[in-house]
Amino acid sequence: MNDKSTQAAGATLLDERAGDAALEAPNYDNDFDAIIVGAGLAGSAAALTMAQRGLEPLLIERGKYPGAKNVFGGVLYTPTIRELTDLDSAPFERYIGEKRFSMLSHDDETAVSLKPGDWHREPHNDSYTVFRGDFDEWFAEQAVEAGATLVTETTVTDLVREGGGIVGVQTDRPDGEIRAPYVVLAEGGNSLVSEGADLKAREDRTNIAVAAKEVLEFPENDEAIEDRFRLVGDAGVSYHYFGEGAVGEAYGGGFIYTNDDTVSVGVAYSLDDAATKRQSPEETLNLFKSHPAVAPLLKDARTVEYSAKTIPEGGAETMPDLVHDGAVIVGDAAGLVLNNGVHLEGTNMAVESGYYAGDTIAKAAENGKTGASALQSYPERLENSYVVQNLERYAWLTERVEEDRDLLFEQLPRAIADASTEYFRMDRSPKATHAKAAKQRIFETLGGWKGATKLALRYRKLVR
Amino acid sequence: MSATPQVPTMQNDSMEDRLYTVSYDDPGESHLDVKVPDICTDSCETSDCMAVCPADVWRREDTDDLPTIAYENCLECSSCRFACPYDNVSWEYPTTGSGVTYKRG
Repeated sequence: MNDKSTQAAGATLLDERAGDAALEAPNYDNDFDAIIVGAGLAGSAAALTMAQRGLEPLLIERGKYPGAKNVFGGVLYTPTIRELTDLDSAPFERYIGEKRFSMLSHDDETAVSLKPGDWHREPHNDSYTVFRGDFDEWFAEQAVEAGATLVTETTVTDLVREGGGIVGVQTDRPDGEIRAPYVVLAEGGNSLVSEGADLKAREDRTNIAVAAKEVLEFPENDEAIEDRFRLVGDAGVSYHYFGEGAVGEAYGGGFIYTNDDTVSVGVAYSLDDAATKRQSPEETLNLFKSHPAVAPLLKDARTVEYSAKTIPEGGAETMPDLVHDGAVIVGDAAGLVLNNGVHLEGTNMAVESGYYAGDTIAKAAENGKTGASALQSYPERLENSYVVQNLERYAWLTERVEEDRDLLFEQLPRAIADASTEYFRMDRSPKATHAKAAKQRIFETLGGWKGATKLALRYRKLVR
Repeated sequence: MSATPQVPTMQNDSMEDRLYTVSYDDPGESHLDVKVPDICTDSCETSDCMAVCPADVWRREDTDDLPTIAYENCLECSSCRFACPYDNVSWEYPTTGSGVTYKRG
């Protein structure tokens, strides 16, 4: 305990010195074992891991506090964070007790809802809605309590090189060069530092999704969230929407997540489609919110916060080299995002990559080794982990779905809605007539048994 | 019976009101720019920066014009930087904690 509080006090002192940097311009060179660029989930996981292994890492954040610049949809998966630290004081909103997947055509909805009883029992499948402004700040505090130093409102503008290797960072503070044997680039998907230092190329826009989100409250109705989403206690939902009713002609989806007393509503879709189909994020969000199946859930809501971000969705194929002489790349900066429609993950993979990077650096430091070869086990361990395995497992899917997008997101949802209308039609014809009409409507769209079989074959790997 | 399903009308905030929901510190100068003005005025016919921006930062009346940049609207999503087919958006992180601050995010 004593040791920890001393370190925390030391950290505070340095923090204050950093705050007065404009006046004093302190020299931090060689004060720290490693520098982490960005106090998001990947950066703080790396800092926490290193601090727990006895290193003194410096965590540099450009926002006013960790999380100030960060946006995500809303659900955080916590298996690795749980291993790294005690989650009792973590700022969770609600656990996910229901996942719902919904196809929206112009005015139809066809949905599947999943409510396994197990999700209501702790640890709730490690799935919680959080606000990044709260959670990232809390997670960075865990790193600081373990011995890391956090400096906020400081922007890393470049890397410092010497003899070909990376030996530190340049910041926007006066005399803002800071040197350390290891640099962790955890700057997010808008990776200006990594790109500026030629460690990665600008991602092609076909591999980027743009997202717009609102946090909504219900000022006139305290029970709106519990009633409309049928919630008891801390339970919450994640609703996922696909099809033209969710994101128009674009490839992507919409979502609603329940927080404690707000909901997060948003759309995320191909940036290339936003450009070529002239579909603005704001207008796409408005249309989604106005869909007949969505609007009743959001009636009389008031906007608490509007936010936007880009998501790197290139997957395994567009991952940059993760190791350089003196530096590693983690999290969104490394393109570690999985979106296959059913699984939407990124923050958990950020934490995982930060952990492996931190652990690798700690081992290298113990052995007194620097340079790229000393850090090579980071990408190797990441490749053997679920992170890269999952990215590779679904690498084929995005391309396939892209080819079938009209069928999957427009024709089929309409056909299913029409078939439901036929199948359940209440008139004086026998059920056999209705069933035949329903079947015919689906088969028209799929191209008969042959088409249906081909479609199933194209996606057989999904259930492998 | 009405012919269409009854849908409550969504009262969406204007862009101005939406942008009021996040706090913002003006760094004093724009963190956004175009790299080569001639590319905008001579080559670009599509104004993709404008089409993809979730915050009406980029505006352009005519494809012969340089876009104007309302950088104080910026939500720092970087979609303009990725969208520009000419890689002509200059994007820097706002310095010393300035720019947008999300409370929730």
